[in-house]
Parts: sequence; structure tokens; C-alpha cells
Amino acid sequence: MWNSFVNLFGHTPLTRRRALWGMALVAPNVLGLLFFFGIPVLMAFATSLQQWNALKPPVFVGLDNFTRLLADPAFWQALFNTVKLLAMIVWAEITFSLLVAVLLNQKLRGRALFRTVYFLPVVTSTVAAAMVWTWIFQPRYGLVGNLLAPLGLRDTGWLTNPDLVLHPIAAVTVWQRLGFDMVLFLAGLQAVPRVLYEAAIIDGANRWQRFRSITLPLLSPTTFLVVVLSVINGFQIFDQVYIMTARTVRGGVGGSATTLAYFLYDRAFVQSEFGYSSAVALVLFLITLGVTVAQLRLQRRWVYYEAER
Amino acid sequence: MINYRRLLIAVVVVLLSVSAVYAQDAAPAIAAQPCAQPGTLTMWVWDENWAKVIGEAIEAWKADYCPGAEVDLQVQPWGQYWDLLRTNAAGGDLPDVFTMSQTFFYTYASNDVLLDLQPYFDEAGVDTSLWGSGMIDPYRWGDDQDLYAGPVNWDTIAIFYNKDMFEAAGLELPTADWTWDDFADAAAKLTNAEQDVYGAAVYAEYQAGYPNWIAATGTTPVVEAGRARCTLTDDGSIEALNFLKGLYDQGYMPSISVVGGASPDDAFNFWLAGKLAMVAGGSWKLPEALEKATFNWDVVQLPRHPETGRTRSIVHSVGYVASASVTNPDLAANLIVYLVSDEGQQFFADAGGVAPANPAMQQRWVEAFGDTSVNIQTFVDALEDSQGVTVFDEIWDKINNEIVVNIFDLGMSVEDAAQAACEFIDTQLPQ
Repeated sequence: MWNSFVNLFGHTPLTRRRALWGMALVAPNVLGLLFFFGIPVLMAFATSLQQWNALKPPVFVGLDNFTRLLADPAFWQALFNTVKLLAMIVWAEITFSLLVAVLLNQKLRGRALFRTVYFLPVVTSTVAAAMVWTWIFQPRYGLVGNLLAPLGLRDTGWLTNPDLVLHPIAAVTVWQRLGFDMVLFLAGLQAVPRVLYEAAIIDGANRWQRFRSITLPLLSPTTFLVVVLSVINGFQIFDQVYIMTARTVRGGVGGSATTLAYFLYDRAFVQSEFGYSSAVALVLFLITLGVTVAQLRLQRRWVYYEAER
Repeated sequence: MINYRRLLIAVVVVLLSVSAVYAQDAAPAIAAQPCAQPGTLTMWVWDENWAKVIGEAIEAWKADYCPGAEVDLQVQPWGQYWDLLRTNAAGGDLPDVFTMSQTFFYTYASNDVLLDLQPYFDEAGVDTSLWGSGMIDPYRWGDDQDLYAGPVNWDTIAIFYNKDMFEAAGLELPTADWTWDDFADAAAKLTNAEQDVYGAAVYAEYQAGYPNWIAATGTTPVVEAGRARCTLTDDGSIEALNFLKGLYDQGYMPSISVVGGASPDDAFNFWLAGKLAMVAGGSWKLPEALEKATFNWDVVQLPRHPETGRTRSIVHSVGYVASASVTNPDLAANLIVYLVSDEGQQFFADAGGVAPANPAMQQRWVEAFGDTSVNIQTFVDALEDSQGVTVFDEIWDKINNEIVVNIFDLGMSVEDAAQAACEFIDTQLPQ
């Protein structure tokens, strides 16, 4: 009995000792995660089965919150808005960050400075950045309005018009994620063996052909990682909505800027429906999980790991 | 033959009785009472400045009425106040005494977490009728309409106007008798599109904005008291909103986007920047205007509706409430009675910020502004025909921001915007 338990940690004393060391080292993190993440997640699951306004004791309602959710047009609108944002963000994030990474991978004067500049938004507080962007997108006196003034778009209500409001939110999200993705791509680019390029040059391949046939395939693991992270991040967009629409209508006119994450915040802290909001959180988690698993499945078709072949 | 002596006596008697009535009106003091037994209380407020004023008042209470009592006074800033309060309520750990807003009162009262203060007011002999109904009716609850809060302070709305612009345009300065027509006329003449100067901005936000104009028509703005019914589609509401939209459509009022946001602070800053001749603002804006305005200005009551002849202001009053689960309700109520009494309210009157709710202290508040050309009394006059708050937090974003942006930024018709707002409000009213 004891032996079989001990064997779980390895079959020889040495491997066991190593395994124990490893566990001791990760223990603080794992315990912290369990306490401050695991328990609240379980509690949220329990809350999602209750009706609770945080003033009166919660009432158990079974799956009511979930059936209500499926029939709530505001939920579907929030989901749709989130999908629209993802459609705007993911391709732009990948294209621009790859472009910047490729440019900054060249021998360029002031390369380190540029890399820092592109990375700065990542370490800038989203709230502060979103405040500044609110001013930039303000009609009449804002930067964007004045740049577009020759087109007669000076007074465009970027943050009030329900048809436009997702664009500035997407733009700020891309701007802020660009630097992080760029770093991942830079690391990926530097791992591409130079000999492949040299061989391609000898074979007469031009710049585009080398990029297309060497860089892109060898970068695909990085691209995959960036896509997964970008999608997960996209599902969680909240700060930008919260701050950029604060001066007009939070969550956009008619809910036009309400993402799933903002929707669940609104239901919890504005409408005081903590049970319903927890149900939204759970559904958001399941959607994100589902999409990520699907991506993991699909990666076999297009991600190329050098070591495997 | 007329007996002059008798007539003279009669006149004197009438005059004396009239002045006696006035004298009674002028001294409706609320008296503080000694506490039965000292103990400890926790108290929350959301404003740093008030905390200072209230702190002084509490020290005086401890010294004069309740030696040995202890109050743990904490400031929880507005941005987190309501979330914290709710979290603490959920944990059964509400502060004993805390400041309450009329828009949030309903939620807390309907969940039975507040102490009914009516018996304590009765016991202390407080005549609650001396507070205006707009100030305290939103704090009534239950079948007997008991009063659950002691009003701390109030604010009313008036028009802040740029005197220099009026003079430059050759206009007479407005008086308290002016009408909507006079207002529209002035807004038109004060607008100068070339210089990017607008005549007025008066629509934004519930408290300072369009609801005042709806109230002047005789319609209760947005919802009837007690969450009874959405009134935005009523004739009075449509009339008032269309009047304001007319000024906007003609370019006399800037859009939300141009002033930079749907908060009345945005419009007020626009006014301070000299881009606006008239702006609707609350009495709480007085200190800021006195400090920052670089031009000559004054305040005047909101213009009168041409047919009803009424000028009406939304009045909001912050209240002190006690938790239903307070361990020492007598002590909590005793502190609240002190804080709303003449003695307790002096501290607010002298601080010269927000106006004290106790009517006996209002003159003192006006005088606390000292030597100024600004007609501070306007805000006290606005109390006379004022409208209490009937809206509540769940509909706040919709009626405070969305309807305003729809009409005054996106150009939606008043009827459609009101319809959309009412559809949402209906989902939030008790079925």
C-alpha cells in the first residue's frame, strides 16, 4: 500500500527525491492558485445555481439562470459583440505584430529603442491608456476626428454611434497587445536556422518566397500560441469598454459595446443579480474552453513542429 | 362712522399674529437629545470633505450629549462605496450608521436592511414636516410611510450664466420670472457658431438636466414615485424633451460629443472654458465656479414653463440611515437626531459647501459664502417648488446617459428615445 503510493513519485529514491523537490518548489504557487482561484471558481459555480442580490440570503433555483440566459437577447447581443470584436482583433493583431517583428528583426538603427516603444503599451495600465484613447476618439476636439476632418468626419461619434463603437475598442486592444505578440514573434524568428535562408538564396528564392516558404511555416508554433492567447484575451475584453464608454453610455448605446465580460459585470454590480452573473461567467468559461480545445485540435493541420518531422 | 381706534387695534392684532406665524416658521429648530447610554458605533460616509465636517459634529455630540461614546468614522470613496456597502451587507456586516442616496434607498429598504427611524424621530419630538417633501419623501418606506433617513444636505439646480456674454450680446440679465421662451431667445442670441460658442447646455444627466424641464410641465419626470410607472412617453415629457431638442437642432446647444461626455460636469467645464453662455448646474458647483470662473457670472432659477408658470428643480438630499442589525439602535438614532439638529447642522452651514437640510440653518449657509455678487439665495428659492428623486440605481445608466446620448448626440427622435427608455424601465418596475 505505502509502496505503491510512494511509487507514484518515482521508482527509485533519486527520482522520488527529485519529484518531491519539484513539488515543494511549485507548492506555494499551487496552493495560492487553489485558495485564491480554485475556491472562488467553485463558489461561482454554486452561485450560478442561485438567485442572489447580495442583500437577502441566496435562494437555490437550479438551472433557471441558464435557461433564462439562453432566452435573454442581451446575452446574445453581448456574445455577438464579442465575436465581432474577435473578428476584428485576431487577424489585425497577428498581421501587425508579425510585420513589426519582421521589421525589428532586421539590422536596424535604433532597433532596441523601437522594440521598447512597441512594448510600452503592454506595460501601460489599460485604464490609463483607455482614458487617453477616449480623448483621441472624442469628436470635434479629438485627434482622430481632426485627422479625418478633410473627409468630413470631424464630428463622428466614434464612442456613441452603435455602428462604430466596437472599432475604437478593437483598435485599442490591438495597440495594447501588439508589443507582447511582437516579442513572441521575435523569439520565434530568431529560432529559425539561418542555413535554411542561405540554402534558399543559393536556390534563387526571393525575399517573399523565403518568407512564405521558410519563415511562415517555421513560425507556425508561435503563430498558434499568439492566436490562442489573442482569442482568450478577446473573450475577456472589459477595461476598454468600461473606460472608453464611461463618459457617454457605459456598455454602449443600446448595449452596442457590451462584451460578455462587461455584460457579466453589469449584471452583477449594476443589476445586482449575482447568481445570473455567475451563470454568465460559467458560460463564458465554457465558450473560451471550447474554442481553445477546438484550436488545439485544428493545429495539427497547419502548425509545423520542426522536431517532429 | 369708522372707529379708527378699533381699526388700528385690529390691524395691529392681525400684524402680530402674522408675525407670530412667521416667527414660528423661522424657528422650527430640531433639538438634540442626550443619549440614554454611550456605546460604540461605526459610520461610513463617501466624501472626504463631509467626513471632516461630520467628524467635528461627532466630537461635539460626544462632548455635549453622549460622553463616553465612540464613533469609528470611515471614508469609503464614492467610486467603491456602493459595491463595498453591498458586500458588507451580504456578509451581515453593515456599518451602524451610513450616508445614503435617494437613488439607492429603495434597494436597501426593500431588502429590509435599514432601521425605521420614525419612532426615534417621534420620541425626540422631531417635526419631520419641516423638511420639504422632495427632500424626505424618497426616504419613506412601508405601509405607514415611515421616515428611514435623516436628511443631511440638499442640492437644487439653477442656471449658471456668463454675464459678460449677456452684456456683449446686449441682452438683459435673466430674472427669476423668465420663461422658456425667454430662455430660447437668449440661447439663440448668445450662440456664435463661428467662434464655437454655444448658447446653452441644460439637458445632461438626471439631476441637472432634462427632468427639471419635464417637472416644470407638471409631469413627474421619468418614473412616478414608488416605481409605479414610466412617464417618459407622457405628454409633458415629450413636450419638454422636444423643447430642448429644438434648441439642439438649431445649433444653440452643443452635442454630448462636443462637450466631451454625458456628465453635467462636462458641460460645466465647457461653460468654465467660456464656450457656453448658460449651463444647468447644481448648488454643489458653487465653490468650483467661485474658484475657477475667469469671467463675471451669476445664477438664476430655471426658466418658467409658459403655461404652468412653474420653475421646478430636482432636489436631492443625502440621508443618514442606520442598519437594521445595529446592536445599539437607540444610540445610532440619537446620533442621527443630533446630526440633523440645528446644532449638528451648523457645521455643514459654516463649511459653505453643500447646503444643510435643516431649514433653520439655510440662511447661515447662504451667509457662509461671504461677500459675493452671486445670488446664492437662488438655490434656496429653488427648493420651494422642487421635485424629489423617483429614479433608482438599476435604471440610472439608461435614463441618465442613454436617452440623452440618443437625442442630443445621435439625433434620435424624442418619441423613439423615450419609447426605448420606457421599454427598459418597464422591465425594472415591480410587476
